[in-house]
Amino acid sequence: MTTKELQHLYWRAGFGIQPKMLNQIPLDRKQVVDALFEDSKTFTPIEIDLSYLNGIDPKDLKKFPSLAKELREKSNIRILDLGNAWIAQMIHAKELLRERMTLFWANHFVCRDRNPRYMLQYNNTLRYFALGHFGDFVKAISKEASMLKYLNGKQNRKQKPNENFARELMELFTLGEGRYSEKDIKESARAFTGYNHNFEGEFVFRGLQHDHDNKTFFDNIGRFDGDDIIDIILENRQCARYISDKVYRYFVNPVPNNSHIEAMTEVFYNDYDIENLMRFVFMSDWFYHEKNRGAKIKSPVEFLVGMAKTVPVTFERKRDIIVIQRLLGQILLDPPNVAGWKGDKAWIDANTIMVRLKLPSLLLNNAMISLKAYGDFNDRFAAQYFKRSKGKLPFKTLPDWDSFLDDFKTIKTEELTNILIQGTVNEGTADYLKTLSTASKRDFCVQLMSLPEYQMC
Amino acid sequence: MDRRKFIKDSALASSLLFVPRFVKAFEAVPSSKLGYKRLVIVQLSGGNDGLNTIIPHDNDIYYNARPRLAITKDIIKLNDDLGFHPSLAPLRTLFDKGELSIINNVGYPNPVRSHFRSMDIWQTASDSDTYLQSGWLGRYLDTYGNKPYNAIEMDEQLSLAMKGERFNGIATNNYKMLYRTAKDPFFGNVLEHYNDQHLSEHNLGYLYQTMIEAKSSAKYIYETTKVRLSQEDYPQNQFAKQLKNVAQFINSGLDTKVFYTSLGGFDTHANQPNVQKRLLSQYAESISAFVKDLKRNETFDNTLILTFSEFGRRVKQNAANGTDHGAANNVFVIGKNLRKAGFYNKLTSLSDLDDNGDLKYEIDFRAVYKTILRNWMNVSTEGIINSKQKLLGFV
Repeated sequence: MTTKELQHLYWRAGFGIQPKMLNQIPLDRKQVVDALFEDSKTFTPIEIDLSYLNGIDPKDLKKFPSLAKELREKSNIRILDLGNAWIAQMIHAKELLRERMTLFWANHFVCRDRNPRYMLQYNNTLRYFALGHFGDFVKAISKEASMLKYLNGKQNRKQKPNENFARELMELFTLGEGRYSEKDIKESARAFTGYNHNFEGEFVFRGLQHDHDNKTFFDNIGRFDGDDIIDIILENRQCARYISDKVYRYFVNPVPNNSHIEAMTEVFYNDYDIENLMRFVFMSDWFYHEKNRGAKIKSPVEFLVGMAKTVPVTFERKRDIIVIQRLLGQILLDPPNVAGWKGDKAWIDANTIMVRLKLPSLLLNNAMISLKAYGDFNDRFAAQYFKRSKGKLPFKTLPDWDSFLDDFKTIKTEELTNILIQGTVNEGTADYLKTLSTASKRDFCVQLMSLPEYQMC
Repeated sequence: MDRRKFIKDSALASSLLFVPRFVKAFEAVPSSKLGYKRLVIVQLSGGNDGLNTIIPHDNDIYYNARPRLAITKDIIKLNDDLGFHPSLAPLRTLFDKGELSIINNVGYPNPVRSHFRSMDIWQTASDSDTYLQSGWLGRYLDTYGNKPYNAIEMDEQLSLAMKGERFNGIATNNYKMLYRTAKDPFFGNVLEHYNDQHLSEHNLGYLYQTMIEAKSSAKYIYETTKVRLSQEDYPQNQFAKQLKNVAQFINSGLDTKVFYTSLGGFDTHANQPNVQKRLLSQYAESISAFVKDLKRNETFDNTLILTFSEFGRRVKQNAANGTDHGAANNVFVIGKNLRKAGFYNKLTSLSDLDDNGDLKYEIDFRAVYKTILRNWMNVSTEGIINSKQKLLGFV
C-alpha cells in the first residue's frame, strides 16, 4: 500500500492519519483494512452527566411550569455537553471507523431532539449499530424516543394515524423518493401505530393504540407491525441500492459511479451487513483511484476534527465550539430538517469559505498566517498587520504545538504538504508555497491549513 | 444536477472561469439583470401572538378566551373590528397613508407547531410533509442572482431561506469585519498565484471560485457602501441596527435585491404582556425610522418590506399568563403604491377553530411569496414556489 493510499483510507474511514502510522513498514491492503475493523470491534458509548434528572417525576413537570423551565435550561446545557463529548470522541476514540460511520448515519437517520437523555441514547444507538445489520438498525431507530418525538410516531394511533415517520422511513431512510405509493405510506403508518416511549426513553408498545387489522403493503397482506414492514422493505433490492449509493457518495466520491454502486448493491443485498459492505468498499481497487483521492469537500465537523487531530487544541469556553460550528454551517445534533445537511458543494458559500480559511490561524496561531518568504527572517509587515487584531480574538484557545512538533519530528517541513493535503495542490498555489520560508514547521502548517486545498479530503 | 446547466446558469462560470483576477471578475458582471425593486424580509422568531398584535377589539370571544391577557387599554382602533397593539403606534402613519397592508389568517395546511419545523417550512416554502434543502429566496437567486451580495442577510450566518440549490446569498452583521478578514494578505498572495488553467467545475475549482467571490463581494460591499451619517435616529437595539445597515446599503445603491433581517424572542408562553410590548415597540420604532430613512433618500418607492412569524398563538391564553403555539397568523406588507392597503382581508372566525383551538388559515403563505415574486420582483415563480397558488392583490 502506498503512503497516499494509506492517507486516503484514513481520511475516509477516519479523520486523517497520524504521522507515526506512516513510519511503519508498508503493509498490504488487507492487513490495514483488517486492523481498521479490528479497532472498531469494540463499542464505547458516550457518557454525559445526567444526574440532574434523578428523582424527577414527569407528573411534577405538568404541575409546576417553573420546574419544567428550569429543567429545559439544564437540558439545553447538557445537549451542548453531548455535542462537545461527541466531537471529543471523534478526535480521541480508538474506534476510528465506528466513529466515522456514526457521523455518516447521523446525517442519514436524521433526528433532532432537545432532551439530552433521549438524544444521548439515540447517538449511542447510531454508534452501536454503525457497522451492524442494517435491518436491526432501522428497527432500533423506529423505536427510539427521540425519533418517536421527531417524526410524530407517538402521535400515530389507530384512531388517528400520523404518516410522518412512515413516509420518511421510505423516502429518506430506506428506498428513496418515488419508490412507493401513497397507499404504501398509509398502510405502513398503521403498522407503526401504538409505538411510544416512557419518561426514561425506553420503548413502549401500546397495544390498545395499535391497529391489529390486516395491512396491504407492497403486495403483501398481513397483520403487520413496524418490524414486519421494515423486513418487507429490505426485501426490495432498491433499499440495498439506495444505501450503497449514499455510502458511495459519502465515502468514495460525490460523483456516483453506477457500476461500482451496482457491485456494492450486490454485496449489501446479500446480507445487509454494513461491515461487509464497508470492507468491500475499502478492499476495492477503485476506492484508491487517483480521481477519488481529495475529491470530497470536508464537512465542517470533518474539517474541525481533522485539524484538532493534527494540532491538539483546547477551548477555554465550551460555547465557542458551538459558535464555530454555527459559523461553518453545521451544528452537531441540530440538523436543518429530517433531510439533513445537503453536503458537498452546499457546505461552501462566500461566508463559510472565508471562515474556513481563517479558522486555523484563529484557533492555532492568534489569527496570524505567516507571509515569510523563503530565506527571509523579517516578518515585520505581517507582525504589524496583525497587531491590531491581537486581544480581540473571538475564540479563546490553547493549541498544543509541542505535541504537534513531537508527532511530526521525523517529518521535514516540505513534506508537510503531502501529509496535510489530500489530492493535488493547484499549480499556482504550489508555486507560491515554494516561495515561502520553511524555517518554521508551525508557520508552514498554518499556511497549509489556510488553503482551499485543505478543505478537501 | 445537470453539469452543463450549472455552468450555463452560474454567474461564477460566466465571469470567473475565464477571467482569472478577481477584480476583473467583479468588474465584468452586468447588473442589468437585476432591476431595481428590493425586498426586505423581517422574520419575527418564536411565534408572534398575532391576536394581541392586531386586536379584535369588538369581539367577546377574544376577551373571554383571554381573561387576563386581552389588551383592553390604549388600543389603536383602525376600524370597527381591528386595532393595533399600543406599541405599534409608530406604524399608524403608514397605515393611514396606505403604505401598510395587513394580511390576516396566513398559514398552510396541516400546520406544524414546532418552531423549528414551522420556520423551516416558511423558509423553504415546502408543504408540511415535505422537506427541502433549499430556501425560497435561495431558489430565486439560483435563477436571477449572479453575485452573493445580490441577497444579504444581516447576521453572522445564512438562513436556509437564503440558500439555493446552487447559489447562496451572503451573510454579514458587520461588513467592515467581513472586508478585513477577506483582506488577509496571505489570501491575496494565494490568489495572486492562482492558476485557473486546471480549475474546472471540480470541487477544488469551486472552492477557489467561491473564495474569489467572497473576497470580491466583501470588497464590493465595503467600497460601495457610503458611510454617510444616517440622518435618521434609530432606536438603540440590534434589530434597529440591522435595519440601519440595510438602509445604508439601499441608499448607497448596492446591487442587492433581497435583505433578510430578524427579531427574536416572541415565544411568550409565560408573562407575555411585558415581553410582547417591548418587542413590538422595538419592531415598530425601528421600522418607522427605517421607512423615514428610505423616504428621505427616495428609495422607499422601490422597497417592499415583508414581516412574518413562523406561527401565531393559541386563541385561549394559558395558565402562566402567556399563550401556546398556534397556527394561522397575520403578515405585514409595507411599501409605496400598494394595490390593496389597510386590511387585505377580515380576521377569520374566533369560534370556528381547528382541533387544537387555533385559527384556521385562509391564505397560504406561499401565495404571499408568489405575489411578491410575480408582481413586485417581476419574475416567474417556476422552480421557486413549487405548489399551486393563486395570485393575491396586495401589490
